[in-house]
Amino acid sequence: MTEREIMMKKLSSYQFTIDDLQLYLDTHPNDEKTIEKLNETIAEFTPLKDKFESLYGPLTADENSQNRWCWIKAPWPWETEEVE
Amino acid sequence: MFVYEKKLQYPVNIKTPNPKLAKMIMSQFGGPDGELGASLRYLSQRFTMPLPELKATLTDIGTEELSHLEMIGAILYQLTKGLSEKEIKDAGFSDYFVDHTLGIYPGSASGVPFTAAYIQSKGDAITDLHEDLAAEQKARTTYDNILRFADDPDVKDAIRFLRAREVVHYQRFGENLRILTDKLDSKNFYAFNPEFDKKCFKNQMKNK
Repeated sequence: MTEREIMMKKLSSYQFTIDDLQLYLDTHPNDEKTIEKLNETIAEFTPLKDKFESLYGPLTADENSQNRWCWIKAPWPWETEEVE
Repeated sequence: MFVYEKKLQYPVNIKTPNPKLAKMIMSQFGGPDGELGASLRYLSQRFTMPLPELKATLTDIGTEELSHLEMIGAILYQLTKGLSEKEIKDAGFSDYFVDHTLGIYPGSASGVPFTAAYIQSKGDAITDLHEDLAAEQKARTTYDNILRFADDPDVKDAIRFLRAREVVHYQRFGENLRILTDKLDSKNFYAFNPEFDKKCFKNQMKNK
């Protein structure tokens, strides 16, 4: 795995935790412990996401921070990376 | 609105192309119990749902199904990437190739194009939730069937993730049904359509 893939995997696992907790809260909206866990996970996820984007480019089109359009740059998520 | 994120919900990294396996997994892209149907079903049904929990669940699961559609697309793409004409012929992939080359097309394993007839949006929350519960189980069985034939660990890993999500979604839809029936007349849940006959909720309030 490349450095990027390792970081993406970590990012995906945080994102998955967030998505699954959010879905759980749809049917358990008063579960304070889950809301706490969700907020903790988001707090850990956000700096990691920012770091990823600064290293490897934006994950959403509105996160372009440079004066050229980075969104069109590979890799796209369905493409596998060549082994470095 | 929807915002695209340039990442998969769960990583897909397949090293060995396998068009035979792609032909089977294709069904979860555009087949009768596939991810395209799942997302369209939930994202259509949600508009008229009578309770906030139900609207939220259908929106969030419908959205997740779109990321599953993308994962299946990535699996199909990686299983068919860079195939030679001989490999296509030997794997029995030439019938698909004639119609779509190596493009990713929503159809079933048996080659039937996707149709909205696979889904229903009935405008009755009880009916629709039962459809959704059944849909999750049908998708789970399809993934179980795929796992019988998949021997590539990279493919199995992603398919197992998707299978597990069907089980979680089934649980959430079960909770939706309970949340709904808790607010209806327990003597006969089916006396009214909770999306059309608004008074079935009012009656319940009076009883309290």
